Amino acid sequence: MSLARRNLFQDKTRLALSIGGVALAVMLILVLKGFLTGINRQITSYLDHSPGSIVLAQEDVVNLLGATSLLPEGIIQKAETIRGVNKAIPILSQFVILDLHDKKQPAYMIGYDQKQGGGPWELSAGREPRLKREIVFDRVFAERHDLKLGDQVEVMDKDFTIVGLSKGTTSWMTSYFFIRKRDAEELLLASDATSFLLITTSDGANMDDILRRLNNISDVNALTKEKMAANDLNLFAKIFSAPLKLMVGIAFLVGTMIVGLIIYTATVERQREYGVIKAIGAKNYFLYQIVLTQALFASLAGSALGILLANGAAQWIMSARPQFLIVFDPVDSVQALLAGLGMALIASIFPTRVVASLAPAEVFRK
Amino acid sequence: MIRLAFRNLFQNKIRLVISVGGVALALLLILSLDAVFSGVERQITAYIEHSGADVWVSQADVRNMHMASSSLPDSIEGKMKYVPGVVSVTPILYLTNNVVAGDERNLAYIIGLPENAEFGGPWNISSGQSLPGEGGVIINRNIAEKSGIALGDEVKILGKEFKVTGLSEGTASQVNSVAFISMKDFEKMRGSYDTISFLLVKVGDGESPEVVAARIQSQVRDVTAQTRDDFAAQERQVVKDMSTDVITIMNMIGFLIGLAVMALTVYTSTLSRRRAYGMLKALGARNTDLYLTVLAQAILSVTLGFLFGLALTLLLTVVVPLFGSNLALEVSLLSLLKVGGVSLVIAAISAMLPIRQIAGLDPAMVFRGR
Repeated sequence: MSLARRNLFQDKTRLALSIGGVALAVMLILVLKGFLTGINRQITSYLDHSPGSIVLAQEDVVNLLGATSLLPEGIIQKAETIRGVNKAIPILSQFVILDLHDKKQPAYMIGYDQKQGGGPWELSAGREPRLKREIVFDRVFAERHDLKLGDQVEVMDKDFTIVGLSKGTTSWMTSYFFIRKRDAEELLLASDATSFLLITTSDGANMDDILRRLNNISDVNALTKEKMAANDLNLFAKIFSAPLKLMVGIAFLVGTMIVGLIIYTATVERQREYGVIKAIGAKNYFLYQIVLTQALFASLAGSALGILLANGAAQWIMSARPQFLIVFDPVDSVQALLAGLGMALIASIFPTRVVASLAPAEVFRK
Repeated sequence: MIRLAFRNLFQNKIRLVISVGGVALALLLILSLDAVFSGVERQITAYIEHSGADVWVSQADVRNMHMASSSLPDSIEGKMKYVPGVVSVTPILYLTNNVVAGDERNLAYIIGLPENAEFGGPWNISSGQSLPGEGGVIINRNIAEKSGIALGDEVKILGKEFKVTGLSEGTASQVNSVAFISMKDFEKMRGSYDTISFLLVKVGDGESPEVVAARIQSQVRDVTAQTRDDFAAQERQVVKDMSTDVITIMNMIGFLIGLAVMALTVYTSTLSRRRAYGMLKALGARNTDLYLTVLAQAILSVTLGFLFGLALTLLLTVVVPLFGSNLALEVSLLSLLKVGGVSLVIAAISAMLPIRQIAGLDPAMVFRGR
């Protein structure tokens, strides 16, 4: 083992470059995964914080985001007469594209009634919209576009005044904004329209019974908030998983190649020494161990550094671009170390072949 | 010196393969991410590009289709016919929702088309009818195959059952597909009969779409009129503006990985040629000549890596759809120029580490047998 260590540490620059290369590849894998976990948290933020435990949507609508829902007229009264339902809070919501400073910004509009709830859950400044054409924007989103309280912003050809700034309502992809439900109805040319009902239930009520009764109402679909959040996650996972897997796969290959290069070079340089060891009776198995130890060290050291780098990079990205949320799951770090192990094993294939094909007599001919 | 760089590079084939492969993969990271977003841009505008309309009319200030909603009173259609240059107007209804086939849910633009719609229908039908009748739906062939759906089978949209009467091509993207139903069904489903989403306008022969769009804009209140190209450009801009930060971060990481691989390769290769460089120095070669050799070697490796990375990306554009994915990759000229530039920077920086080695090399070393 000391031979493996000496081989590796003899050239510190080379070792540093190889560990650095693996670390970057592992960092990329971790940042990508953390990015996806962050998106998942941001995607469900409204459902996680809005009131109620059940969402009533149009029949066959199972998502909050990505689907348009329009509930039949008189649905609030119908829902509230169901035993166990405490309150039915209506919202009118729709994705819109805002043109802000020549930038296209998709945003999810929530039209709600302040007295009933369903609006922003945390304000960093200002108040909720009470009057006509007032709007609550996300704090980070507003900062990115240099908007502050009292500024005007155009939504679907109508000017709104920013009266509040909300927290935890943005992501890199989109952002929530909140207006009065009546204003949303006006924008969408849909008076008295309701997209979803957020249903709160009485204490101790049986959730399954309430869901069944709500689903007996025609043209609607009732589901728990958790289920709807899971559906939204699935929807976005479908969109992001293919490109993400592609990137992670490439990063893994890069890491493997870096370790492969360093171990191969180190092995070829030490060919004569390996020949001498073979000539004095060492078995191939012993030499494989030396090669593999080097690969494992470079990979695992690189992976460990990669985990640290990923944390640093995530902090830097989130402070430079607050709309990004990068969340690391401890399982991801374990997976990164396993990826390092995989890189080491694959990277050892070539160098072990070099060692295996080495003729012990070779060393004496030179 | 260039010949020496060549020989250094090609003498050890395995090292060459690993280094070129490493750089190629790092550049592939940048190229493929760019290609993914370029592909999405193309896919997302497919419906608009193939709509057959010269001008798209939407609700005032609504300039997009994706992640947007447009509502126009149906009376606008009548007003449009008085605008000079307009020869035909097709109203469509639009919303985004799931097409449900068994347990499979596929997000789709649901387009409601009037009977005998001139524009806005599916542009490439692989089987079945080319326009949806009442109770019928035309869905994407790939989506149908994945969900085990054939012509005559039923799917559900917003809780209502529709019979699949046609299968279309080119209407699916990584994000969603396009499903066509009749306007009457759409209205029934929504319980709304007096609004439309967009008007697709055809202009007369010899008329400029730009001029007609401007006329509509000035003569009809509360609408936004855009030429098809402008509307598609607005859609592409959404993807661009959403992806800029992600692409920048990934490009930086790809650049750093490429740099690490290349620096490592050039460094190890120079290290193993220390004696040769020492010999050249002892024979009178100047440091500049040796620097140029290392630089040439780095540029050659990176060029090969770039070409290999490009070939891999092009291969991915062909292979990925074969696995049934709707992910479309498209390599753009801009991306090639960017990655080309990045490659040169990688080569220049990675050559700096061995340059220091060479500068510190003692020509007498070679005679001491080190």
